[in-house]
Amino acid sequence: MEQPEETTHFGFRDVSLEDKQTLVNDVFKSVARRYDLMNDLMSAGVHRAWKDAMVTALNPPRSDTPFKLLDVAGGTGDISFRAAEASGHGFQATVCDINPDMLAVGRERAIERQLDGRVTFAEGNAEALTFPDRNFDGYTIAFGIRNVPRIELALAEAYRVLRPGGRFLCLEFSSVDVPGLDRIYDFFSFKVIPPLGRAVTGDAESYQYLVESIRTFPRPPAFAGMIRAAGFARVTWQPMSGGIVALHSGWRL
Amino acid sequence: MLENAKRQEGTKEGTRTARMNSSTERTESPVDPKLLEILVCPMTKGPLEFDGGRQELISRSAKLAYPIRDGIPIMLPEEARKID
Repeated sequence: MEQPEETTHFGFRDVSLEDKQTLVNDVFKSVARRYDLMNDLMSAGVHRAWKDAMVTALNPPRSDTPFKLLDVAGGTGDISFRAAEASGHGFQATVCDINPDMLAVGRERAIERQLDGRVTFAEGNAEALTFPDRNFDGYTIAFGIRNVPRIELALAEAYRVLRPGGRFLCLEFSSVDVPGLDRIYDFFSFKVIPPLGRAVTGDAESYQYLVESIRTFPRPPAFAGMIRAAGFARVTWQPMSGGIVALHSGWRL
Repeated sequence: MLENAKRQEGTKEGTRTARMNSSTERTESPVDPKLLEILVCPMTKGPLEFDGGRQELISRSAKLAYPIRDGIPIMLPEEARKID
């Protein structure tokens, strides 16, 4: 007898866990070069403010005090570069992403910005991290956890690799609950973003996936419950831009 | 026909050599030693041995050799080579 296959969401479709990873890989392979540009266009540049808020919350030391960051799903280096620029000489980031195309873009940019000594890159899976226990002072994942097939495994791994006193930060799309804004947001999501994606990256389907996957991701209280279940303490979230995104936080004590 | 086939084989050999050359020329972007210090096997969380010649990270405990491409370690078991 065959075991019924484990399934997960891929946008509005239900797919097997393995298929989800392949489908997500295709999305990012197709858009890697223009990923940051699309982020600028889709959010009218506001994604920069969200990411800066994440780096401010991370609060890496400006002194030479050592600080080790693990930036998961951070392929193009966007979060790590911001954190490196905001911190002192003791800062060291490792970017871990499952997609080689995103990492190649990130490494190229690190060399261009002469940050390659402080930001290193490894290809790996958030569900099975390639780092030892209690190694990092901070763990960030920005717009990445939604694409992980088994979120609980990724959270358990985040907890494992953080030192006691280490901070978990996750930036993710959330649910818009401001009256009026919700309707504009729906229109923008389903009618504007996929055609815009087609125009900029030649790929509307990837952006159709993006807007659908945002709707199937757990709402902030449910996601906060998952973070707590992984062992984190003092779990909080902060909605931004009317709830378009939320910054989730937890501590390993 | 046969000659044609041979010629094709010749070209294939040619591209393969060219590809090998270009990969050895990539020494300008070697893997960061700080990264090698912290990496463990994603399957067993056991230690890794660095094989500079083959550009591989060997996990004895998982019997896998993870490749390093363009200075980026590929720490995925599905991309790794099985070893004895």
